[in-house]
Amino acid sequence: METLLEKIKDRVNANFDLKDYKIYTDLKRVDLFFNKEHIPSVLLYLKEQMGFRHLMHMSVVDWIEEGEFEIIFFLWAPKEKVKIFVKTRIDRDNPVMENMDNIWPQLNTYEREFKEMYGIEFPGLVAPEEFILESWSGPPPMRRDFETDKYAKDNFATRPGREDAQDVRETIAKRSGEDIPDFAKKYSR
Amino acid sequence: MSFFDLRGTLKPLTSLKQFGKNPHTIRYPEVPVEASDRYRGFHFNEIEECIGCGNCATICMNESIDMIPVEGVEGDKGDSGLRPRIDYGRCCYCGLCVDVCPTGSLSLTKDYIHVSEDPDTFLFLPGIENPDANNRKTYISTKETSLNDWARIPMPELEGKERVKSFAEVVLGYNEEQARQEAERCISCGICTEVCPDHMHIPEYINAIASGNDEDAVRIIYDNNPLPELCGKVCTRRCEDVCAIATRGEPVAIRWLKRYATETADASDVIKDIVNPEIRERNGKKVGIIGAGPSGLTAAYYLALRGFDVTIYEANEKAGGMTMYGIPKYRLPLDSIQKQVDYIVSIGVKIHFNTKVGKDISFKEIYENNDAVFMGVGFPKAWTLGIDGEDAKGSMQAVNFLHMINSGEDVEVGNKVAVVGGGNVAIDAARVSRRLGAEVTILYRRRVQDMPADWEEIEGAEDEGVHIEPQAIPIKIHTDDKGNVKAIEYLKAEMVQSKDGGRPKPVAIEGSNTIMEVSAVMAAIGQQGDYDFIDKEYAEKIKIERGRFVVDKNQQTTLPRLFAGGDAANRTADAISAIADGLRACKAIDAMLMPSNK
Repeated sequence: METLLEKIKDRVNANFDLKDYKIYTDLKRVDLFFNKEHIPSVLLYLKEQMGFRHLMHMSVVDWIEEGEFEIIFFLWAPKEKVKIFVKTRIDRDNPVMENMDNIWPQLNTYEREFKEMYGIEFPGLVAPEEFILESWSGPPPMRRDFETDKYAKDNFATRPGREDAQDVRETIAKRSGEDIPDFAKKYSR
Repeated sequence: MSFFDLRGTLKPLTSLKQFGKNPHTIRYPEVPVEASDRYRGFHFNEIEECIGCGNCATICMNESIDMIPVEGVEGDKGDSGLRPRIDYGRCCYCGLCVDVCPTGSLSLTKDYIHVSEDPDTFLFLPGIENPDANNRKTYISTKETSLNDWARIPMPELEGKERVKSFAEVVLGYNEEQARQEAERCISCGICTEVCPDHMHIPEYINAIASGNDEDAVRIIYDNNPLPELCGKVCTRRCEDVCAIATRGEPVAIRWLKRYATETADASDVIKDIVNPEIRERNGKKVGIIGAGPSGLTAAYYLALRGFDVTIYEANEKAGGMTMYGIPKYRLPLDSIQKQVDYIVSIGVKIHFNTKVGKDISFKEIYENNDAVFMGVGFPKAWTLGIDGEDAKGSMQAVNFLHMINSGEDVEVGNKVAVVGGGNVAIDAARVSRRLGAEVTILYRRRVQDMPADWEEIEGAEDEGVHIEPQAIPIKIHTDDKGNVKAIEYLKAEMVQSKDGGRPKPVAIEGSNTIMEVSAVMAAIGQQGDYDFIDKEYAEKIKIERGRFVVDKNQQTTLPRLFAGGDAANRTADAISAIADGLRACKAIDAMLMPSNK
């Protein structure tokens, strides 16, 4: 298995500018890292020339600390029964990725989702404006800096019936007669 | 393609492999599908195990958990009395509440069906509304899956062999990194604050340490404790017994964190700079305080901040009371006390040292010349063993021995010491004797696990080579012709379960007499008050019960304008209770003399 995975990697490397790779023999899987401009040709080559005909999934990871989104394509070769994860990073502040639904039509659905959930632009994507979030006005909600709590408070009313909730710290302080000074309260939970 | 497409002809026959198998059908009437083993359905809460820390409510990003009072659950020390209620209109079943639950009482179950037109039924009290879900728990918290940190950052200490060579401090203290790591383990529930006699703001100062603001931590600590370095080193730390993390792991090292924070302020003027207390203008009222122990110093500090003219009368040369003269210097170095006393003096408290009330100044004079008087006189007199030969040379009381050592006097104990007792005083006397070069045996009537001393102290003593002889009842001290202690005779005891359900009692075994040769015997079986300093005309009016002043919730005695605190007024007999007494008395005196401040 290892030689097969090595061979796959070597063949891709011979044709494209492979940035990095990782081989997981036990998982029958190769991870390949590319710059974003190589992705369409890599995917097309893997599909048409190397038997990775099946797109299993597409995913996005928000690396907020590094200012990047990672885009991952999960491919499957039914004959060899091996996986390839094609990974690339794009700028988080200007997230643009090529539309590739001409390679696999089902990418259209994924791209719609990532456009809505992460705010990634896919120029040329032909799809209805809204996907899941109807009449959404806030920032893309799957981004890690999205404040769910704040958004919920700003946009939704609270149902009555929960006013009897108590703060644990205050309840205990009240019961034992503790006086928490104001300057200490910012450290309370 | 050939004329006869053999493949197309034979392929349908592969369906024959299904022949004889059970068909996939749905039963009628329908049997609900059982959820998988790690399914995250509705919550279940073990109401008895839950301590109401509210960590689940804090972590919930959807704010779907409320902490509410529940019938049948009494808020008590170690339990907030609140229990979680889930709003299933908001819950997303992520299970974080289970992952952070320190007690492991909260879990998710296989139940997932609830249909109702009434939205109020989506508010749900797990464990109370579904007590039978106990056996359908799926997503549970184990010590491995939990997100809490169970292990305490170990405290660096001197090795046992090194310790006995000198009176150097045994515990070395956390460095900055260790303190931040340890502080981060705290979940800030505040359950600890209720058992602290002084109700210190524990979660707040630990959070300040965790976020790197040591100065804020010091300020928060000084808000209701002017002797925190003392507490940081020798507090009985009942807070740690009820720590939420202690339900399944090691409690947060609250005492060591307080120690760390206070040690960042290493001189009295640094403390003053950091705390920067607001000192009110003098209000013209005078308060006299008898005894510069923890309760007296605390009352003095906060009264002085409130503008009172405070004078302390202290019989000894130094302030600190029992913490100065009773606690050995390897646990609480002189500098630690001195620094805090200097700070208290620097804000305007006057202390008259070497002034014994009843001898150098009369109680009457103090009482008549002040608007209020606070007594923090402690328990200076030790109980004696009451056995033959106790007046021999080399037989002494452990507190007196510690007092002499802490005053810098030389005490001759010879090469083999027997200490009688099982409290902290006994352990202190034993460990000090080890440092003087003697072999030490502790004789205790009950078992080691019954000893009232701190377990850390007991372990420390054993590390240093102190031998503990449990279930031993001394009956006689043998002397030589010159009147020196020669040996101690004791009986072995067996533990007998008492009939009234109390703790087992030691009963001496007849004929089990053992004689151990020793050069000194120290009794450490407790202390009592000595109230002879109070003039008779006042003493009659002050009610004393079982050797302690009777005080109300404001620490006021039966004599008007007279307040009392510390060992002579409370039953817990530790520094932090004394500090709490002092603070309570301060507030009561303030309210009594300056009603307009209210």
